[in-house]
Amino acid sequence: MKTLIRIICLVLMIVSFIAYIARASAFPIASANLLPWSLWFFLFAFANILLWQRVMKLLSFSLLVIWFYAFTASIVPETSTAKLDLSSIERTPDAFVEAGEAIFKGKGKCLTCHTLDPSAPKGRCPDLTGIGTRAATRKPGMTAKEYFIESAYEPEKFLVPGYGKIMPPVWKAPISLSNLEIETVIAFLQSQGGEVDLTPFEPPVDTGSAAVGVEVLPPILTGDPDRGKNVFVNGAKCVACHNVAGLEKPIDQTLDEGVEVVAAPELTDIAALNSLRYIEESILKPNAEIVSGYGSASVRVGGAAVQGTLVSQDSEQMVLRIKAPDGSETERTILFSELEPEPIEELVNLKEKGYFWVQATPADATAPISGELVEEDEESITLKVGDETQTISKSDVKVQVTVTTFDDDEPIVGELVSETDDEVILNVDGAERTIDQFDVDTMESSRAFGKRLAVTSPMPSNFPQLLSVADMNDLLAFLTTLTGEAAGETAAAAEGAEAAEPVPAE
Amino acid sequence: MMSLTRRFLPANSRKRSYAVLVLLIAYALLLVLPAFAQQDVGDTEYRPFPKIGSRNAAWIAAQLHLLFGSFILGVPMFAVVIEFVGMRTKDLRYDRMAQEFIKLCMAAFSTTALLGGVLVFVLMWCYPKVMNKMTGIFGPTMIFYVFLFFGETFTLYLYSYAWDKMQNRKGWHLFLGVLLNIFGTAIMFVSNSWLTYQTSPSGIDEETGNFIGTTWEAVNNFTWMPINIHRFIGNIAFGGSIVAAYAAFRFLVATSREDREHYDWMGYTGNFIALCGLIPLPFAGYWLGREIYQFNQTMGINMMGSLFSWLFIIQAVMIGVLFIGANYYLWSGMGRIEGAEKYARYRPYMAAIIAVCVAIWMTPRSLIATPQEVAAMGGRYHPLVGLFGLMTAKNTVVNLIILTTFLSFLFYRRLGKTPIVGWAKIGNIAIAIIFGFAVIAIVSIGVAGFRVVTDFRINTLTPIQVFIALFVMISVTIIDLIMYRRAMVSGTINWGKMTDRSQYVLILLAITFTSLMGLMGYARSGLRENWHIFGVMPDTSPDSFTPRLSDAVNIIAVIMVIFFALVGFIFWIGLLGEKKEGNRSTH
Repeated sequence: MKTLIRIICLVLMIVSFIAYIARASAFPIASANLLPWSLWFFLFAFANILLWQRVMKLLSFSLLVIWFYAFTASIVPETSTAKLDLSSIERTPDAFVEAGEAIFKGKGKCLTCHTLDPSAPKGRCPDLTGIGTRAATRKPGMTAKEYFIESAYEPEKFLVPGYGKIMPPVWKAPISLSNLEIETVIAFLQSQGGEVDLTPFEPPVDTGSAAVGVEVLPPILTGDPDRGKNVFVNGAKCVACHNVAGLEKPIDQTLDEGVEVVAAPELTDIAALNSLRYIEESILKPNAEIVSGYGSASVRVGGAAVQGTLVSQDSEQMVLRIKAPDGSETERTILFSELEPEPIEELVNLKEKGYFWVQATPADATAPISGELVEEDEESITLKVGDETQTISKSDVKVQVTVTTFDDDEPIVGELVSETDDEVILNVDGAERTIDQFDVDTMESSRAFGKRLAVTSPMPSNFPQLLSVADMNDLLAFLTTLTGEAAGETAAAAEGAEAAEPVPAE
Repeated sequence: MMSLTRRFLPANSRKRSYAVLVLLIAYALLLVLPAFAQQDVGDTEYRPFPKIGSRNAAWIAAQLHLLFGSFILGVPMFAVVIEFVGMRTKDLRYDRMAQEFIKLCMAAFSTTALLGGVLVFVLMWCYPKVMNKMTGIFGPTMIFYVFLFFGETFTLYLYSYAWDKMQNRKGWHLFLGVLLNIFGTAIMFVSNSWLTYQTSPSGIDEETGNFIGTTWEAVNNFTWMPINIHRFIGNIAFGGSIVAAYAAFRFLVATSREDREHYDWMGYTGNFIALCGLIPLPFAGYWLGREIYQFNQTMGINMMGSLFSWLFIIQAVMIGVLFIGANYYLWSGMGRIEGAEKYARYRPYMAAIIAVCVAIWMTPRSLIATPQEVAAMGGRYHPLVGLFGLMTAKNTVVNLIILTTFLSFLFYRRLGKTPIVGWAKIGNIAIAIIFGFAVIAIVSIGVAGFRVVTDFRINTLTPIQVFIALFVMISVTIIDLIMYRRAMVSGTINWGKMTDRSQYVLILLAITFTSLMGLMGYARSGLRENWHIFGVMPDTSPDSFTPRLSDAVNIIAVIMVIFFALVGFIFWIGLLGEKKEGNRSTH
């Protein structure tokens, strides 16, 4: 009888173990919550340990330990990167928002760095509560949806002040969201206080390229951090402008002629907030990415050029910190509407050059068209005129020419009709005027006029020429050690043992 | 070679070894086959594996192969050392134990090869395009692997079967053992290059995604050497724990006093070896983690702060079990030595220290909480418990756990001996002072760690803590060795006088080691997410995502059951063979 009981207990233990692992539905007489298979297994395993001796006792004990670890790991919060089947998703706001939320919290792992709770402590990346309404004001000339698209595909193009360049393009490895998945996430973000716009869009980058996902880094950082520190302090004299906690600025700092000490970003935690690639790029190409609040801006207002540090901007105005000759600084608010249009000679890469408003005259029009620069490709530009958009062909605009001659003091301004080796014919106020090339002193042509906000880095761009390869390696090695106290979580993550930011369960 | 084999191997062993050899050659050929079959793949990307799916099939085969592989690579390392100790001390017990270890290794060797063959079959069938790509890059290393594999096989067979014959030529026999370990380590290094390349590929053309580097560049990728070192140490710890579990099993089923004595001693040695591997393992893991973070920041954040963050809490639970279990075993062992009462009174305090330290280690950085709970805590991080989640607290308690475990071992070592040197009292005071200052220093540095910049903590304070712990272990060991060199034996060790409970602890440790390996294998592989080769070759199969932790642990549990069933079967077969030989010698 005792043997029979033992065998029954053994069989039931094995069955309940298999049922638990296979996630079988509940035992016939009870619900899964009341008497789950884990409980049955535990009871039978315990009974077997008491009933059996030697080998079977060992087997029961071993199974109990294996089950214990499986059970413990199954009760902690977890997230899934499983793909949602979006092949038959309805193109409705509700369906997109629902799918987008699942991807935002799951495969996209956005909550690793972002939060959706305004009361939460500052995370690695901005809190996204209400981003649906706020997004439209992030960048001048950009709608909320355009901002979301740029943030997903090219997050490095705009950094929210106070945050580092940490967000990876979500279409790249390891997040690797598809275009449709990104669309759903954008819909979810738009639903955070804004209206969901499901208009299809073209990704701004070629996501189909085979190698775009990999970030190839040098295999090993061969530089010496101590020598790099010397380069930082005495060689490149970075310490003159950049502050690093624990590094004092030498009193007898001698700078090369023409190098000005300017406000520059704090670097105490640069390595915790940014990738090695970003740090390297910041040295070699300082204008590629400029930290908010540290860019040098130059604009034309009231007939004069105004230069200063761009402190902040929104869709209507900007604030510049302007340094007076006596060293004092004042802040000046400038409306974008106040900026004076500048002539644009070639309609190429207008957005990259900082143009946000353009005025041009199509060849078949009598009056110029002006508005916010919405889109630009190789062949055309699209302007937002009132509530509508108008596309103008770049090769089909009237060219405005300003000619000064040796004979007249006043320049002659008109539309270019034709130009040969002998003469230039302009249309000035409806009347054609021919000017002999022999008389032309200067001639400037412009295909359009535009307002722009050009922001450049005050950091010298000649470090690649100043620094040897060895110095550069050493400097990089030093900068990668700057993980800073504020970046404790990020740096600690590198240490290999701290679970810094558990992700809430779905 | 054949004459050598004939000379050293008994007839029945020769037959068995020929059969296994044929199996191994078949495996070797199977392994190298994909390198010659690249044109036949065509456009087939994936083929489904029936019932359980391709990923699960490859996962189970790979993990089982890895577990057996770890065992057969780890065991010869300490077998050679034990044999060397036996030769130097002229104590035949060591020699016999080393031989028994190698017998276990032999039994597992053919299973490892068999599972390797299964793995190659599964990969070739289910992932032809991936295998095509990998063999295109690593073809030369696969051929090299086959040569190494033959080297490993022949040296293992010679080392094992020639053991008795070469008793008078121990130096040469040890040389064979060293050669075996060189082959084994080289095999591991080569195969590690394949899997680490998948995680951190190098030699890639950024524009086209094509591989443009040399084979060496592919091999020497970002995570290759950290994995090599991590696995090298891990194999020793794992091998020791499995040997200890085997000894525990034999102890529990033993019917004679001699057997109980022998397997008690063997279990103690296995556990000691496992502990020696376990202590430096966290440092190797730390290096690997840093390298992953350096390779790709997002991957690093996914590992520690996102997708796998809770996995590392489970890891802490398991490592906590390992340390508590290992200490418990040492304390139980005090019962077999006369005069243990002197040190037994410290056990509750040491247990309390380890329990508190493990609890701190297991504390997550932030807890999942409702808004009300967050408000009640006064923030997202609990004002007190939240501090324990920080790395400085964890580093501190890890060092304290290691020192407490070392103290347990020190007490254990001293049992049954009375020092006769005149300065014994001063020596003990010196040891107490070293321990006392070390604990104060480690804790003070840990507290200071909350207030300094992370850079300073990681690069200065943490290494100082580690060096203090190492200093204590080295200096105290030296003092203790000198103090007890000619100690008077005041109590004998009664081998075999151990509780059954302590043997279950050895089995618990072996299962925990194995589960830990399975769990970390999931983390390492899962980091790639939906890529076969990270950033280069996307996984477009239905399995192109990282499974949830709860799903992964179920697969790991299945692997554990299969592994221990196979290990049990192999050991049982070995037991039958022993009985048969015993009966024959009796008759």
